[in-house]
Amino acid sequence: MVELMVNGTRVSVETDAGKPLLWVLREDLDLLGPKYGCGVAQCGACRVLIDGESTPSCVTPIDSVAGASVVTVEGLVQADGTLSLVQQAWIDEQVPQCGFCQPGFIIAATALLEATPQPTDAQIDEAITNICRCGTYPRIRRAIHRAATMLAER
Amino acid sequence: MPRFLSRRGFLITGAALGGTALIAAVGGVGYLATVDVDGLDGFVDGDRAVLNAFLTIQGDGRVVIQVPRTEMGQGIHTGLAMVVAEELDLPFDDRISVAFPTEPLPAYANWFNVLQQRPEEASGPAVWVGRRVLGLLGFIATGASASTMALWHPMRVAGAAARQMLLAAGSARLGVPAAQLTTADGFVRHEASGRSLFYGELAREAALLPPPDDPVLKPAADWRLIGKSQRRVDLPAKVRGEQVFGMDVVLPDMLHASIRHAPVFGARVSRIANEAEVRAQPGVKDVAVIDGRQVAVVADSWWQAEQAASLLDIAWTQTEAAGVTSAEMSARLKTALGSAEPYENINEGDVEAAIAGSTSPMIDATYEVPFLTHACMEPMNATVLVRQDGSVEAWVPSQSPLGVRTGIGRGTGWAGLEPTSITCNITMNGGAFGRRSDLDVTAQAAFLAARHRGRPVKVIWSREEDIGRGLYRSHAAARLRAALGPDGLPVAYDALVAAQSIIHSVAGRNLPFNPGPDGDSLSVEGLDKLHYTIPNRRVRSQNVPSHMPIGFWRSNGFSFNTFFTESFVDECALAAGADPLAYRRTLLRDSPRHLAVLNRAAELAGWGSPMAQGRGRGIAVEECYRSVIAQVAEVTVAEDGEITVDRVFGAIDVGMVINPDAVIAQMEGGIIFGVTTALMSAITLDGGTVTESNFHDFPVQRMANAPAVEVAIVDSGLPPGGAGEPGIVPVAAAIANAIHAATGRRIRALPLAVTETVGERRTRTVLRSAAT
Repeated sequence: MVELMVNGTRVSVETDAGKPLLWVLREDLDLLGPKYGCGVAQCGACRVLIDGESTPSCVTPIDSVAGASVVTVEGLVQADGTLSLVQQAWIDEQVPQCGFCQPGFIIAATALLEATPQPTDAQIDEAITNICRCGTYPRIRRAIHRAATMLAER
Repeated sequence: MPRFLSRRGFLITGAALGGTALIAAVGGVGYLATVDVDGLDGFVDGDRAVLNAFLTIQGDGRVVIQVPRTEMGQGIHTGLAMVVAEELDLPFDDRISVAFPTEPLPAYANWFNVLQQRPEEASGPAVWVGRRVLGLLGFIATGASASTMALWHPMRVAGAAARQMLLAAGSARLGVPAAQLTTADGFVRHEASGRSLFYGELAREAALLPPPDDPVLKPAADWRLIGKSQRRVDLPAKVRGEQVFGMDVVLPDMLHASIRHAPVFGARVSRIANEAEVRAQPGVKDVAVIDGRQVAVVADSWWQAEQAASLLDIAWTQTEAAGVTSAEMSARLKTALGSAEPYENINEGDVEAAIAGSTSPMIDATYEVPFLTHACMEPMNATVLVRQDGSVEAWVPSQSPLGVRTGIGRGTGWAGLEPTSITCNITMNGGAFGRRSDLDVTAQAAFLAARHRGRPVKVIWSREEDIGRGLYRSHAAARLRAALGPDGLPVAYDALVAAQSIIHSVAGRNLPFNPGPDGDSLSVEGLDKLHYTIPNRRVRSQNVPSHMPIGFWRSNGFSFNTFFTESFVDECALAAGADPLAYRRTLLRDSPRHLAVLNRAAELAGWGSPMAQGRGRGIAVEECYRSVIAQVAEVTVAEDGEITVDRVFGAIDVGMVINPDAVIAQMEGGIIFGVTTALMSAITLDGGTVTESNFHDFPVQRMANAPAVEVAIVDSGLPPGGAGEPGIVPVAAAIANAIHAATGRRIRALPLAVTETVGERRTRTVLRSAAT
């Protein structure tokens, strides 16, 4: 039995200790926003915030996050349904194409802006290592800068 | 304007439609009460008014637009919904939703792809017959960048017809002539009396009226949506993490399966050495051999299935392909380029005589590209339920419901079961790029579901199976020759490509018939360069079979042939001592549409402005999918050979544009996809087996060194062309030409560079040292 916070709610999960957080979220907690894309921390589609840090959940065993606070892309939406700044910037720049990888990018960008509210292009390159096969990188870059501007104006 | 055939068609085709009607009756939702060949008649189902095959209006005013094409990121659900909303005078807001219809109505058939006639222009008995046959087959497929070309007009007509039915219903309700009524913002209005009626109030009455014989289309001057960028209808769910892709389908009592395929394609399962051990793993319900060729582990969760599958100890049969390497494939292709009797696809003038008569040296170059795979971000998956009564329902991220149906037939057939009915749900696709046209995964899921009747089975391939055991773009080579005249322009152009036939391989897996391997039209597309004025021209092809399964792959033959031909044109220009842009301009003297696009790309890039040492600029142009595209790449090559693509400028003429931002997004994404192809990706064979297995050894472009992209749309006023594939087509040649400009090195094989790992999820690309 592993206890943790997921999107602000305390949950306890009974499962194999070695089961990756990604599959616990998807199969045991019905949170389907984090995606399976590679299983080896290469693509970032599975990224979630663990105690605020953007982490590939596909290689994170569930027993290693006992007591931690996990936030998935679904958890970024406010209780009244309002999108987070990053999600809104993603809409404003019309970023996604197929959209399968975007939850991971949105999580990675959220963590970046938390640590570096006005990132330079070089800082974006450093922080965002996810893969988007549709090739939305130019729009992701614009959306991160837009979110940074929205953050500064808030 | 051609009229939609009325229900008179039923007299001819009614018997054949019976099966379709039966499927629809079981499947339920939205089948048209009056069986019309093109499905334009309406009906009412409770609160839902189905006005025609493409449009449902609910009592609360919500509108569901049925788009029978797969959304895989290209924005087609938005573009085609815009067309209906335009004609209907509906605001384009969140009252509109889009659904992929479950019934294979004839109106949804993709006859354009087969007959190559635009619906707005098509006529004649061949078209009539073709439409009937493809309609009855339920030939619905998304590919060849054709969705807008195939459906923008029929969906305009559907919207216009529905608007006229709403006006007629309003006329009856208000007791005034329809001519006194107008529509706007989802209302029918009577200006004189100030009265107005909401579409939601009128839709049920309107749906039961006969559709107009010849709906009047809105003149282009009155368009308020078409041609103006609209926000994509699918993006809110995608940024919230709420979008249901195939992999996210969750059904009660569902089982999960992971698959292991043979390391060498064509091998069969000889023995599972440890089946009992695998069956004893936590959650495992079944270990099954599929069609003698694959092993599936079925469990309560996919994690359990995959864990158990990783323990499988499978002995495979030996095949003749077990020794094949990429080097051997390459040698086979080069040998084929010396073939005595290749298939002749085009022969204009007399190429040999022109070459023999030319006094300047012949330009003669051989190019090559490797196998590639699609690596869609959503790994392959399919969910199938076989009920106790033999009815089957499937949920698949697929490009083709017909493929899904065929796959279900095949998979259940392996289990000795014949479905009593099939309902096919096409989910959102997490990328497709041609990969999801194939029935392979559906057949696996259907077989397993037939073994576990009453429980849905979801098959997910691991990324390793996707990259190492999937479908591939051909490994191909070409020899191009040209003789130049005294003015430096080609008097003869001779192209010979050696590649495994794409159509032959795809048809062998998916169709009941096969056109044969020779003269494959997809293997030669991009070779003819018909837009260049050249007096003698020949295009030939040689099929080079292998054990590898070849699939459709974004832009098919263009993905290699345009690299070959547009590199070659640069080689001709340089031999003639001409600037590559000026040389192309001369070659395009009889093709004003292409010239305009080329000039626009050159202008965007500031062609001709000086560049620093180690930097270079390259250009390429192509016509594909009835669109014309040109791109300029700017590269920097460092002393140690590290290459960076700094910027790519693109111009495209896609004819009439429905949603400009979606076209721009396709160009941006296509360019990035093309940079991956040009610099990074290759699938290699060793011992008959694919060497690569995941993104660490099948590198794709990431954020850090992706080029900046600038795109312009050139408006020719022509009817719509395709936008999904052209974006990737010129990229590799533009980059290869830029590398030559920067370094003087001509690299004739892809990938142009070797990808080196420089840190966690970080790479750099270094030019191949084997360059000549």
